[in-house]
Amino acid sequence: MTPLLSIEGLRKAYGDRTLLDIKCLELQRGTSYLLMGDNGVGKTTLLRILAGLERAQAGNFTFDGVRYDEAPARARLAPRMIYVHQHSYVFNTSVADNIGYGLSGLPKSEREARVRVEMAWANLEHLAEVPPYRLSGGEKQRVALARARVLKPELLLLDEPTANLDDAAREQVAELIRHMRDANNCVLIATHDHDLMKLEDVVKMRLEQGRVTA
Amino acid sequence: MYMGLTEATLQAFRWLLEGDLTIWGIVWVSLRVALLALLAVTPLAIVAGFGLATLQFPGRRALIVLMQTLLALPTVVVGLIVYLLLTRNGPMGSFELLFTQQGMVIGQALLAFPILTAMTLSAVQGIDARVSETARTLGASPLRASFTVLLEARFAVMAAIATGFGRVLSEIGCAMMVGGNIAGVTRNITTAIALETSKGEFAQGIALGVVLVALALGVNFGIAFLQGKGEIK
Repeated sequence: MTPLLSIEGLRKAYGDRTLLDIKCLELQRGTSYLLMGDNGVGKTTLLRILAGLERAQAGNFTFDGVRYDEAPARARLAPRMIYVHQHSYVFNTSVADNIGYGLSGLPKSEREARVRVEMAWANLEHLAEVPPYRLSGGEKQRVALARARVLKPELLLLDEPTANLDDAAREQVAELIRHMRDANNCVLIATHDHDLMKLEDVVKMRLEQGRVTA
Repeated sequence: MYMGLTEATLQAFRWLLEGDLTIWGIVWVSLRVALLALLAVTPLAIVAGFGLATLQFPGRRALIVLMQTLLALPTVVVGLIVYLLLTRNGPMGSFELLFTQQGMVIGQALLAFPILTAMTLSAVQGIDARVSETARTLGASPLRASFTVLLEARFAVMAAIATGFGRVLSEIGCAMMVGGNIAGVTRNITTAIALETSKGEFAQGIALGVVLVALALGVNFGIAFLQGKGEIK
């Protein structure tokens, strides 16, 4: 089966320190991956490189059979591939406008309908018109997840999506993983959340000394 | 005729309340020139400030230093430069803009440009890097992502515009040199205050001073309000 994303010979170094040295990594459709590892080991950097937000010194990247070796080219894959920050930024507008941000090309009625669905999924309906400074950390994270989910990405890169959050947020991430898998899409989650590590039907990987191991 | 301070102040408020056409005409010239100058320069300054904040190019650092230096440029120096440009023998002499409101608009636009540019630069630099990244990763084009960043900085940019308005409204050097203080044409609040005070006619100066202070207060309340709106709570 052709992988959704494959990486070969990825190398990222800061001066003399090699952070990432990944010979080969493949992510398949319909599969969810947990990427574990200690702080500072390069999990966020790997996700940011995949999303085209950072450059690597070397590496071949193939997405859905097409090469995207340059970071700007990978960035243009959005919203087929979406990266969600560890501490997500919620734009200074309403929750509904945040969730509909990536749908600006759609007719208003369709956009509103899809936003309503996502708000219901994220249990944010009562906060639709609330500005971001009135949201808690957990609510902001839910906005970020709904904002990404509404765009139906084929690959979702989540950076510590449950960091400092409650059980409800954790359950939402678990539900998102199931949803992505049911839609034959892929999720890669960088985490050290032990509860997430207990999830079944996910491929667990470890990033150590720049290398990804099963 | 010399008037005592109390008498002059009472006379000033009487003129203001009665809607004295000379005084309110002068206020109108000030407001019209300042608003036109801001209208002309704001889009350009926002683009320049945004470009300086987000683009990397040779000479960027020097341009930022230049812009910050221009913040402290005396208004008479700007007035002198514009005068030399607009004077009959100057490069723009054929347009006959010296001692006209259009000439004053040019001068005040030049005064406002560095303020708006530097403050927009600072506002955009203060925006979290995740804004642009989030926009891009949600599929926004580079142009839309830039617009999103600017939108996040909107309250600070509006405060920059208000500050620029305050600067051009209260300046005298450029207005005096380029406008020439012609009654009913280019006489504005600051040049009128200077003239009337030099003649010992304090009442009109006080009346115009009251209007200027009221406008400055209004602008500063506006800035405080906008900065409060933009605050992360």
